Amino acid sequence: MRQLLFTGFNAFGQHEFVNSPRDECAASAGFREISAHDGGNNNTKNQCTISFDWRYTAYALCRKLWLRGLLETEPGECVEVEAPGEIKALAAGDSHCLVLLCTGELYKIQPKLEATLQAIRLENPPRPSTATKRTIFGAVKAPAPPSIEHIACGTNINVAVSSENAVFSIPSCLHQFPDRQWRVQQLECGHEHALLLNGNGDVYTWGNGLRGQLGQAALCVEETPQLIESLAGIKITGIAAGGWHSAAISAFGDLYTWGLNCSGQLGMRVMKPNGLQKEPTVYPLPQLHDLPDCCCCSSRESGAEDTDVCEPLKVFAGSRHTLLLRRCGRLWASGWCIHGQLGKQLCEQNFLDAFQALHGVDADLDVVNVLCGPWATLLMVTQKKSVSTDDPIS
Amino acid sequence: MDGPLLELFPRFDDLEDLLRNEVEARYILKKATDHLDGIKSNDKAGEEEEIRYLICAVVDRNWERIHTGHFSVVPVTTRQIYAIACFFKIFFLLLESTDPRQKEKCSGILDEAQLLGCTDDWSELKAALMEYLDKGQQETAEPLPILAAVLRGSCACDIPQLDAPGLNEFQTKCFQPQQPTLLLNTIKHWPAMDKWRDLNYLLQVAGNRTVPIEIGSNYASDEWSQQLVKIRDFLRRQFVDQSGDGCREIEYLAQHELFAQIPALKADICVPDYCTLSGAEETPAAVDIKAWLGPAGTISPMHYDPKHNLLCQVFGSKQIILAAPEDTPNLYPHESEFLGNTSQINAAELDLKTFPLLEQVRFYKLLLQPGDCLYMPPKWWHYVRAETPSFSVSFWWE
Repeated sequence: MRQLLFTGFNAFGQHEFVNSPRDECAASAGFREISAHDGGNNNTKNQCTISFDWRYTAYALCRKLWLRGLLETEPGECVEVEAPGEIKALAAGDSHCLVLLCTGELYKIQPKLEATLQAIRLENPPRPSTATKRTIFGAVKAPAPPSIEHIACGTNINVAVSSENAVFSIPSCLHQFPDRQWRVQQLECGHEHALLLNGNGDVYTWGNGLRGQLGQAALCVEETPQLIESLAGIKITGIAAGGWHSAAISAFGDLYTWGLNCSGQLGMRVMKPNGLQKEPTVYPLPQLHDLPDCCCCSSRESGAEDTDVCEPLKVFAGSRHTLLLRRCGRLWASGWCIHGQLGKQLCEQNFLDAFQALHGVDADLDVVNVLCGPWATLLMVTQKKSVSTDDPIS
Repeated sequence: MDGPLLELFPRFDDLEDLLRNEVEARYILKKATDHLDGIKSNDKAGEEEEIRYLICAVVDRNWERIHTGHFSVVPVTTRQIYAIACFFKIFFLLLESTDPRQKEKCSGILDEAQLLGCTDDWSELKAALMEYLDKGQQETAEPLPILAAVLRGSCACDIPQLDAPGLNEFQTKCFQPQQPTLLLNTIKHWPAMDKWRDLNYLLQVAGNRTVPIEIGSNYASDEWSQQLVKIRDFLRRQFVDQSGDGCREIEYLAQHELFAQIPALKADICVPDYCTLSGAEETPAAVDIKAWLGPAGTISPMHYDPKHNLLCQVFGSKQIILAAPEDTPNLYPHESEFLGNTSQINAAELDLKTFPLLEQVRFYKLLLQPGDCLYMPPKWWHYVRAETPSFSVSFWWE
């Protein structure tokens, strides 16, 4: 059964705890189970989709959509809305939540009590004139509206990518990547920048790069997607966008981070000779990490051939924290933790400035996926199977 | 905290307009102001811990909003909410404890409210809190040095010099012809001239304030960074025990609006009459007053500013090298957006191999000494290096 374990900022009752629904704890420090609205369904088709904003959380299951949190006056306010079709993805932002249907149609909804879904009309991408479609009577056929596959949003940015690789800064079309050469694998947004990963393993960034978010040598604003040259040639398999930082993992199991390191979110510890930390520090170019051995490596009896067993597998980021899932199933983390973003035992510290193993998750649980909110972390876990062929540790 | 101080805190009625469209700040500041009302009327205070946490969350949240996008386009509302939330954060911290360590922490928060937030509507509360927090914070460590008053040394000067010119003379000889000029003995009457050399005085009126400090000898180098530090720590690190390890980095309190932050220091200087002149007929715009305090060896690399500039030397001396705006094409400005007004050259040691066009540039050298001001018209290039520990005040106007 899939469970959702939450830690972090919950001052507005965005999340309903399973064991104590009337919990007053504003900063939930330590992982605790929250209600998933889907009865813990193991069938991925029937699992709810979740997206965090700072003051509310959006949940979707089939055609139903819920917004929960501080919507107008009190914490724990909740609205339920039915979408015209099955919901594929959500992207919650401060002023609205983007709602993508399985049909490729895009809607938005404001986080307030009288909320309704509003269709978003996207500008059609420019097409070469030869491609103009005509009806059998010769009249120009109106081009079909773009079918959206990926969405993401941040404080100052809303993006979508269509099935034909058109990139939108909603609602205008920013850029048209060559159609059919590759598909978009992942799209992520920080507060004011966007990252796109394609099937070739290339990473493109655009938006505000004044804090080094874009992975480019020059600190500037880029209107259109730019390839990160310094990662070109390295096949990237996963990306993450924090508030003002970014992270990527390569097929070789290498972790790269770049951007702002004001709260240790890059996991780059920088000490000056006099012991003063140099901060806030901006790393405009991707930094390769040499991670310490995972604790499960050293305890293995025959560790010789399996150095890959703990390599980074996926990376996730909140406003100022970064989580890393290693192949062995352990979570590592760095960054801001004062609101309980990284669990309980770190609460007294303001932030971690280097990656370290995250404790507080039961050893008999498998972390299937992670979702970072601005100041929160959500783990999607299942009970470990006792013996299993696809369990990487056995 | 006593009654009069509490009376200066905002009531919810005062904030209602500001918070009209701010869902989360309205909810949280309502709770905080209600709690304060409860304390004033001696009601039993409940849920204090939760409200304190929520206030911290609003502070953090608006810190993030202030750091998103360029500072110049951050809505004033956001900066006002940040400042008010900081005031309440201090209030709740002081409810917890008022021991010196807690007060010190609160001072830091007050400085952040000042540096990032907009405190204009609450200057009385800010001043009262500052006074309350500074009270009883004693200096335990050894006293700081008193720098010696130095007599003027004679030295070469490549630009015209005028001895305390009147406003008319300044207008006809300097301002109108856009002529950089060394104005001797113009600020002798400032109280700062006697007071500031005693670093213990600076420590006393400003020691507890947090200011942005530039670390590294010059802002165009890769090693350069900025940090917020207490003036007390900065003074001790940079003006005491200069023997030391030698690997100590130069720190520079540069281009900071110190006088808006510390009214006591503002009282020690006066805005020179020269700054009232403007090219147009209309009343002159506001004057930006900035402080420049650091040890010997701080460098501002060759750069220019868009406004009229009067650089006044309170203590110490500075070597200055100027070049005219006409020589801009020969001065190799950086190409990046940030450093477009800064030259790549080291004006103190010209490298003609790398930068051959420098041969055509006419440089003007001078030494700025205590009591003197340097007038620089807009766009004049200048390189500045402190020869000794130095405190300058600059006035920029349009």
